[in-house]
Amino acid sequence: MDCRKEGCAQPQDEDIMDIPLDDPAANKAATKIQAGFRGHMTRKKMKDDKPREEKQRDQK
Amino acid sequence: MAPKKDAKKPEPAKKAEPAPAPAPAPAPEAKPKVAAVDLSAVKVQFSPEQLEDYKEAFGLFDRVGDNKVAYNQIADIMRALGQNPTNKEVNHILGNPSAEELANKRVEFEAFLPMLQYVVNSPNKGTFEDYVEGLRVFDKEGNGTVMGAELRIVLSTLGERMSEAEVDALMVGQEDENGCVNYEAFVKHILSV
Repeated sequence: MDCRKEGCAQPQDEDIMDIPLDDPAANKAATKIQAGFRGHMTRKKMKDDKPREEKQRDQK
Repeated sequence: MAPKKDAKKPEPAKKAEPAPAPAPAPAPEAKPKVAAVDLSAVKVQFSPEQLEDYKEAFGLFDRVGDNKVAYNQIADIMRALGQNPTNKEVNHILGNPSAEELANKRVEFEAFLPMLQYVVNSPNKGTFEDYVEGLRVFDKEGNGTVMGAELRIVLSTLGERMSEAEVDALMVGQEDENGCVNYEAFVKHILSV
């Protein structure tokens, strides 16, 4: 894991690997969040790409 | 009848035909099969304006020029059109396609519409509260923040794992100087697009 930020508060005492890998509820929550995130990222990318696409279309 | 031993070379024993290939093992039916999605039963209820928007977006994804898109683009088109399907949901709609089908099977706009409608109709939409509650689980100090590092691990090891590149793209500008993420603000940001 890269530590780009200095002064990054890495959890010292708590176990960072205390991730409930087998917990169905945690996985379900994660899946929902990931779906929302993926939707957001795709839409953001479309928005960022759109001006370029439109310019290309206009040039045709 | 005892074979005569003479100068004639004995014919090599030859199998007339190869042994029949064993029947392919039936797919293990350990899990109960989820009913396939019957897309023909989905009533498409989009307005003319919506259909126009959707057709335009659909066209953007057609890189081949055959007015179709590949199975592996369906999830992204739905996302582009404001939906947030899980990958599992999309695979279910597509009939659990193989990797080959995902890459090569193509779908035309009319066939895509009931797929989109199905997702639009899906009751399990993530709301602001859902996302916040989901992230609150990782708020060890109950102060409205989660460790960016921990969030990255969660996103890349639980659920439908995200790649490092995806997580990096997502987290751009979200961590404060201490590497913490205010998750309510984060979720608001996610829902704003």
